[in-house]
Amino acid sequence: MAEYIKLIDLTKCTGCRGCQVACKQWNELPAEKTGFTGSLQNPMDLSYSTWCLIRYDEFDEADGMKWIMRHDACMHCDWPACVKACPSPGALVKTDSGAVVHDPNYCIGCKACIVACPFDIPRYSEHEEKIAKCTLCYNRITDGKSPACVTACPTGTLEFGPKEDMLAKAHARAEAVGGSVYPNNPKYETHVIYVVPGDVKLAALQHVNPNPKMPTTILWWKNLFKPFTLIGMGGVAGMAALHYFIKGPHRVEKKEEGGEADG
Amino acid sequence: MASSREKMVYVSTAEERIIHWMLAGSCLFALITGLGLMFHSWEIIPTMLGGYYATKWMHIFSGVVFAISLVAASIIWWEHCKFVPDDLKWVSQAGGYLWEAHDLPPCGMYNAGQKLFFWCVFAFGIIVVLSGIVMFNPLPFNVTLARWAYMLHVMGVLVIASFFVIHLYLGTVGNPGTVQIMFHGWATREYCEFHKGKWLADRESKGDASE
Repeated sequence: MAEYIKLIDLTKCTGCRGCQVACKQWNELPAEKTGFTGSLQNPMDLSYSTWCLIRYDEFDEADGMKWIMRHDACMHCDWPACVKACPSPGALVKTDSGAVVHDPNYCIGCKACIVACPFDIPRYSEHEEKIAKCTLCYNRITDGKSPACVTACPTGTLEFGPKEDMLAKAHARAEAVGGSVYPNNPKYETHVIYVVPGDVKLAALQHVNPNPKMPTTILWWKNLFKPFTLIGMGGVAGMAALHYFIKGPHRVEKKEEGGEADG
Repeated sequence: MASSREKMVYVSTAEERIIHWMLAGSCLFALITGLGLMFHSWEIIPTMLGGYYATKWMHIFSGVVFAISLVAASIIWWEHCKFVPDDLKWVSQAGGYLWEAHDLPPCGMYNAGQKLFFWCVFAFGIIVVLSGIVMFNPLPFNVTLARWAYMLHVMGVLVIASFFVIHLYLGTVGNPGTVQIMFHGWATREYCEFHKGKWLADRESKGDASE
């Protein structure tokens, strides 16, 4: 299966929440009880049953207050930290399409993926003892359809297509509007990319990691200390065996044969 | 080596042996379940234990037993494991294990290597337990701290597990006459003179009779 990318053009988003609703509908996620908090943000955060969300960031500019509406969901990393951290095979899987999919049947609720994720995406349910997140509508894209949020988007903010097409489109659009593409780290590619308007500072946005990468501690955990537990135990066991065969056991010295080695 | 008619010395109390095996058993079980959770190719371990979810909980509960045993172990062995100046002499000759040593000072209850193992298990055990508490529910913690916990947990295991293999070797086939102490508590007088000379002398000067 070809690799796909979901392109989010923030210059076009009006914050209609069509993607939020479509996501709930397709994935059969229940609505949450929410309240008014004085901002447009609603619900306040991603949750076990809210896999995609519009973030409403407010800025004070010279000519008044300004909003940046941002569609926030799983970024579907090419080298996913969540999959690296996951102890249960099959619970989090990176598919050929680029979508990183969770399978509740295998999730053991250890929460390691939540800690590992550089974008703070997976959410835990105490009741289910499992995590959940956006799957890039894997069950739609394998059938040749776009993800539900993309299908619902009325302004063209969300687009879905083959990786190369979407990358070219994103960079062309960023140049046309004087903006940038996020994330723009060739060492940590994602299957969801943003076109960010030029006057928006990424670091000022809520829940945005300006420099996403595989967390170093996660890398050291899995690529250094993990193999060395076996190398350490195996190496020491080998040395012990060599000691036994070369020096022999450390026998108690007998008084009458004082010359016997204590080796 | 030792004939059954030789004089025997009561080296380890029942209390010590119970705490030792609680610590060893929980540590070993946590190690096995932890390796099963960490290495996907060792699926046989979670499969035999009833799946990954069950293994997660067994790992957590064995960790709780390990933490309790660690506290108990540090209470009973703390005094015995304080380093003394003679330990430096022991270390500089590797205790006579690697080459001929001629003027090894007599050891107390434990030699410097055993003391080092105790402090190693104590220090890295605390790291493993504390990081394990963070890993049990990382959500209330700062994410950077939580990521460090995962890394430190495995680093602590690496140190303890490697040292444990040395302990296993030296406590069994590497030192004939040792392993029985952890089962019935008795060792030959000859063994104690050789391995615990100072401890035996102190004990006998106080009039503690050996059977």
